[in-house]
Amino acid sequence: MTSPPGGENRRRRPVAVPIAALVVATGLGVTAAFGGLAEAPKEPPKQLGPGASLNQGEFTTKFVESRTVFQADPFGGTGKRFLELVMEVTNTGEETAQVGFPWYEKKEGLSFGAGLLKMTPEIKSPYGPLTSVSGDSVPGRQLHPGVTSTVVVRYELTGGQHPPKQVKLDVGTFEFNEGFTQNFGWVLVKDDPEGPPTVAAQVTLPVRQKETT
Amino acid sequence: MGTVAPERTRTPARRRRRAPAPPSRWRKLGGLLAGVALAATAVWAQTFAYTRDDRGAPLTWTGGLGDEVKASRVWVQAKAVHAAKAIETTGTNGKPQRATTTAIFLVVDLAAQSTWEPQRIVSQEILTQSGRRYSATDRVNETQTIKQFFVQPGWWVSGPAVFELPASELAGARIVVSSAGGAITEPSAPEVEIDLGLDEAAAARLVSEAKDVYPLGNKK
Repeated sequence: MTSPPGGENRRRRPVAVPIAALVVATGLGVTAAFGGLAEAPKEPPKQLGPGASLNQGEFTTKFVESRTVFQADPFGGTGKRFLELVMEVTNTGEETAQVGFPWYEKKEGLSFGAGLLKMTPEIKSPYGPLTSVSGDSVPGRQLHPGVTSTVVVRYELTGGQHPPKQVKLDVGTFEFNEGFTQNFGWVLVKDDPEGPPTVAAQVTLPVRQKETT
Repeated sequence: MGTVAPERTRTPARRRRRAPAPPSRWRKLGGLLAGVALAATAVWAQTFAYTRDDRGAPLTWTGGLGDEVKASRVWVQAKAVHAAKAIETTGTNGKPQRATTTAIFLVVDLAAQSTWEPQRIVSQEILTQSGRRYSATDRVNETQTIKQFFVQPGWWVSGPAVFELPASELAGARIVVSSAGGAITEPSAPEVEIDLGLDEAAAARLVSEAKDVYPLGNKK
């Protein structure tokens, strides 16, 4: 329990300050070598084509195709033409999610649709896009965990609008926000918390012209 | 006055006797042990603390298939389970409508009665072994399920609850039924959780015996 004899007489070298100085200098050097404290350049969005898959966090989405559809009027009218986006979506989350609807004009998207940030060119129709999960005669609006389902987004081509040759989709991703006191669930990834959602990928789909139901 | 004088003389003597005696090694060790024990108890007691998830969690009454599980507001009984590849219902136009899925349909025959006040079944979910939650499918209209009824005290109403889930998630699945929820959230809302009694073998049998088309309908 006692200190060794003579211990108090040995001279101690003051090393703490030089070591600290060395650590700080190394840290600064490393930081400077990796480009300093400036913000890292943002990754440009991935460029994807038809058939490509994207991990959106809550969903894994395969962008199948874009096509035009003609729906005959059962009462003998002129019928309706639509532009459709077809996606195969797997819910990789823990809970059933709604398909929601994509961003349209100034309205924010909801649920799965919230990941579809923008489509160029924009197609204007009175009611905006309609989203559904296809399935024989009864379309649904749910994406169940672990189930891959086909999601169809429909834009009506009103007033003789010509369908574009191709469409480009800006797609975002989701992250699970646990929150501080309550769960917020899956929310869109944003670089700047106040700004718009980050575009993770841009998907270019040629529009297949089809004139059947 | 007479009592003050002797105390004065005693106090310095007491101090003199105590101050030079350092705490014994055993006392030090005892103090250390007591401190460690207290700290350990405090850490252990934290395991009883409410977690964040507990705070928002419902009060759950549990039971097995066929049991009449009585919760604070409703009694629920899960009578049978069926699996199907497609569900056929009668549409609003009177024609049969067939709903299909890329997964499998699970139909649970439920019966319910309330304890005191009329209730409505608000949420029906399947909770799987892997912790996933499946809401009741929207491919079957609510008017074909137990959601259509007012659940009243004194008599049982019966109706199905229909779910869509991958066949691999069937084993160990439980159904969670609640008459609370919706727009209003309340703390510790009651719910009934019924184990559907599907072990691996029973789940495999259910899938292999799944009907191609399960008719669900209003008995008119």
